[in-house]
Amino acid sequence: MKLELRRIHIKDIQLGEETKVKDGVLFVNAEELISHLKEDSRIKDVKVDIARPGEKVRIIPVKDVIEPRVKIEGAGNGFPGVSSKMAQVGEGKVNVLYGAAVVTVGDIVGFQEGVIDMWGEGAKWTPFSKTFNLVVDITPVEGLDPHAHEATVRLAGLKAAEFVGEAGRDVEPDEVLTYEMGSHAEESRKYPDLPKVVYVEMLISQGLLHDGYVYGVNTQNILPTLLHPNEELDGAVISGNCVAACDKITTYQHQNNSVILDLYEQHGKTINFLGVILTPELTTLEGKFRTCDYTAKLCKMLGADGVIVSEEGYGNPDSDLLMICKRLEDAGIKTVLITDECSGWDGASQPLADTAKEAVAVVSTGNVSHVVTLPPADKVIGNAEAISTLAGGWDGSLQEDGSIKCELNAVIGSTSEIGYHNLTVKLY
Amino acid sequence: MKYKIVTNNPLVKKEKENIYFVEGSYEDVLIKVRDLVYKGVELISHPLGASMRMLYSPYRSIIVGEKNKVVDPFHIEIIENSIINYRKNLEGRKVDWIHADDYALIDNELLKSTLKDLEVK
Repeated sequence: MKLELRRIHIKDIQLGEETKVKDGVLFVNAEELISHLKEDSRIKDVKVDIARPGEKVRIIPVKDVIEPRVKIEGAGNGFPGVSSKMAQVGEGKVNVLYGAAVVTVGDIVGFQEGVIDMWGEGAKWTPFSKTFNLVVDITPVEGLDPHAHEATVRLAGLKAAEFVGEAGRDVEPDEVLTYEMGSHAEESRKYPDLPKVVYVEMLISQGLLHDGYVYGVNTQNILPTLLHPNEELDGAVISGNCVAACDKITTYQHQNNSVILDLYEQHGKTINFLGVILTPELTTLEGKFRTCDYTAKLCKMLGADGVIVSEEGYGNPDSDLLMICKRLEDAGIKTVLITDECSGWDGASQPLADTAKEAVAVVSTGNVSHVVTLPPADKVIGNAEAISTLAGGWDGSLQEDGSIKCELNAVIGSTSEIGYHNLTVKLY
Repeated sequence: MKYKIVTNNPLVKKEKENIYFVEGSYEDVLIKVRDLVYKGVELISHPLGASMRMLYSPYRSIIVGEKNKVVDPFHIEIIENSIINYRKNLEGRKVDWIHADDYALIDNELLKSTLKDLEVK
């Protein structure tokens, strides 16, 4: 498979009469976008706004972030099996509005956090303070059940990204990144002496606001499955909205999965990258045994010498992470885990809900309990009331000057367990 | 599969029959599950959720199975670790009662998803 990600560098977003890219500026016709989204009869109202890096703007509660793109060559466009017809993706050419993002907001339930601050202290902690954000606020019709509400918001975000992405169809890219990998047999012939490495990407697969999808299939219903890395880079995997703001993998992060990109970078140099295994994180212990056994079996069948495992979420998924680790290490496969930590305000507590002596190589992507102070914003996009949820964590979390003390777990993408973010934790 | 739901969620109480209803907190639910596991009752669903935010929920529903003659040490480890983690995470935080109804709803929906997974057996 060969995939070209053709980046068009976006330096600003503005509302305009025509949805187009001109000299690096993305213009969006908001009315057209709104009427396109309102073709879904479940949507009552859509508001569109723009948030730029450096502006004193807070976006809350964020549901998903999506990179706008258009496929100009090869099968499929957008998110097959979800917002477009089923197609085998991973091959062809994609024009990417690099530097732009569609951000969806809207309450599904009242306790959701998910904040993006575009300036100051808050901006340091989320990668989406650096993108030019087209914020789409979706209000559904009354009486929708929560599952339909979630699906409506999820689809609207993906459709908005497709709609906006179309503006890049005939634009010459500023840079072209090529991702190409042949069959295992071909790659192993080319690199007979390099260690074979598999990437296991775990996905929360547990129900409302705790789901992920591959080609539109809810990952609750899959056995661990093997993907060509290009498929994920080309829209095969999406987020099912979020409760866990800091470490729920947004669709944008799937489209730009840092682990995949880094393994690609090393492919043919230090490793032979065999592909991605998507592994659901289920709630039942039997389900966890099934998926962990199955994941380890796939790694063994592929002849992996090493495996990198990334987690999504915190709590019961820690058990899956360590069970996979134990099974792989017992089989003689060197295993590296990527996870965030929940180690208390002082960072001194045990970081995971579970432990295993086999977990000897662990990369930390940050402490979700780390406390940050967010100053008041000039403008709030979304639901200002959700800020009280942020502020209500403990006595004194709302300061006299209107600043909010909150934990990083409220900030979108702050401790991304696939490494698409800004921080880590070091032992000292 | 025979199972029971240990819960303090009023919504689950209203909708389900095969429950141990706990008049108390999330932590009380964990403790009830712990006591059952020490008596040999099988742990079917993991006691913790998959996100930090759900730890601040006033409500929790956990599925347990039949009583066996032998106590499963793995299940003991899981429930004990869960209690330690729950307490650790609530040290500086408050249970979020303001959104209690929404937590009841999500807990119930996540429970339904788990039960669906068990139905096929």
